[in-house]
Amino acid sequence: MSDRIIFDNVSKFYGEILGVNRISLNIPPGITTLVGPNGSGKTTLMNLMTGLVQPSSGSITVLGISPGNATEFFRNVGYCTQFDSFPRGLLGWQFVLDSLLLHGMPKSEAYKLTMEALERAQLGDAAGRKIAGYSKGMRQKIRLAQAIAHHPKVLVLDEPLNGLDPVARAESLALFQELGRQGMHVIISSHILDEVDRISDRVVLITGGYLIAEGNIHEVRQEVRDKPMQVLIRCDRPEVLASKMFAVNHCVEARLHEDGKGVFLRTGDIDQFYFMLNGIAAEGLVKIDAVTPADDDANAIYQYLIGTDGGAS
Amino acid sequence: MSVYKHTYRAYGGRITPLWTRVLVLARYAFAEAWSSKITVALFTLSLLPTVVFIVIIYVANNPIARALIMRGSSREFAIDAHYFFLILQTQSWIALAITAWVAPRLISYDLSDNALPILLSRPISRFGYILGKLIALLASLSAVTWIPCLLLFAYQAYSSPGPWISDNLRIAAGLLVGAVIWIAFLSILGLALSSWVRWRIVATGIIFAAIFVPAGVGGVMSAILRTRWGFLLNIPYMMSVLWRRLLGAPDFMRFGGSLPTTAIAAMLVIICMASVAMLNARIRAREVVRG
Repeated sequence: MSDRIIFDNVSKFYGEILGVNRISLNIPPGITTLVGPNGSGKTTLMNLMTGLVQPSSGSITVLGISPGNATEFFRNVGYCTQFDSFPRGLLGWQFVLDSLLLHGMPKSEAYKLTMEALERAQLGDAAGRKIAGYSKGMRQKIRLAQAIAHHPKVLVLDEPLNGLDPVARAESLALFQELGRQGMHVIISSHILDEVDRISDRVVLITGGYLIAEGNIHEVRQEVRDKPMQVLIRCDRPEVLASKMFAVNHCVEARLHEDGKGVFLRTGDIDQFYFMLNGIAAEGLVKIDAVTPADDDANAIYQYLIGTDGGAS
Repeated sequence: MSVYKHTYRAYGGRITPLWTRVLVLARYAFAEAWSSKITVALFTLSLLPTVVFIVIIYVANNPIARALIMRGSSREFAIDAHYFFLILQTQSWIALAITAWVAPRLISYDLSDNALPILLSRPISRFGYILGKLIALLASLSAVTWIPCLLLFAYQAYSSPGPWISDNLRIAAGLLVGAVIWIAFLSILGLALSSWVRWRIVATGIIFAAIFVPAGVGGVMSAILRTRWGFLLNIPYMMSVLWRRLLGAPDFMRFGGSLPTTAIAAMLVIICMASVAMLNARIRAREVVRG
């Protein structure tokens, strides 16, 4: 069995409306973040991945299984939608239990897995209350619980952090990270880029139904050559460092850190930049404490490639 | 890049057969249908005619009670195919009222809550989803149609002397078949119409309109053109003709003859197929976007 999610030249049109166009992806295990503005095709991509819509052209296999093989396919895929859609009148644990029964689990096994999922989602006593009385965060958690309850190998999460307070967000991210490290595919679409960025192994950027970039975040950032990279250097004499860098013509912009103990430098050639930095450090003019890429994250890549207006630059 | 420990193990245990998963959806739907006080009120109302019919059967089969009630009157109570036609007809129109109330609850909530993605991202097909709803609706409608009808038949068989049941077994078969055809037709039509309307009350009105508006149009057509074929749009008339034939009661005759059974069956099949096409277009795991 393959361990990849493979999109082979997939297009999806809703009548004359473009969902996604000519998407080819090969997603390995780990955490993958789908990034794009509203209406960019993220949910369509997730619906295709979970077999809920059929592609207009191209083919999709998830771990080597086609969505046509529904029982095997859905046994391996867990989907947490962004919609508040719960059968009315159910208690939290009943919702998870019934979803497992729909997956075809025997009752005794379903009870066991329900309790395990509720514990992982950290719902606590709320599992015994009616979902109708849940807060938005609890609803997110119960959706997450039903998505992971049947032990899927692929977990697709559409905006899973919406409505969660900071503590719950941190707990959810830790859970995703743990699942990713255990070898599960975790596909997340989220607008809270700063937070998912920290746990993502790779990013898929999409806008207007077209794939803009995909891969490891750092690799994607390095591919964006027309946008000089920004680096934060923590040192004792930031102004000296900035002047030195400008002197050797490896900087296009410099900005002092607010606390005066660092400088943000932009460079068009990151390899040469680091080479020069080593030289300056060796001279002993400046005592360098730390060097950190300042725009090597999903948020920056989003800004550079998609922009705030949602159009690719 | 993560260092994958590959400690994760997917579920590899036994899986239950598909039909048991459909029953989970049917249970959801049944609970939804009966969570409304109006459903309970309609069901309670549906028992009232049954009580009246029981009393009539009792009086018809009890000479003392008949003598007390029918003092001086020569009128006979005949518990025959026509009587059971009246029972079936009464219960069937109550079933229409229940369908108009319940069917929109089963579909509209899921559509307005966008629940289909979460339900269909299970090893359950759209057919399984509809089947689950259909089972709940059929079970609810059975409780007001063929079950009370057959209970009344059984009571009549118990109350009447000697060979009544052996002479009238066709009535029992007719009650069962006639009621099942009607509730299956109503369920498919009700779910299909509900799937196109997000507002439940509007859906309820549309279900009534779908039965009675074409009936009016068909009646006008038949009157103007002096033809019986206009009654093919008149579902109440068609069903009455069908029920009478199934029970062995005297037929209706309008405009030089009643409708052929094959024409009635064909019309019901056409309406059901159109309903299935409507459900197929609407029951999808995503919003249908029109270009």
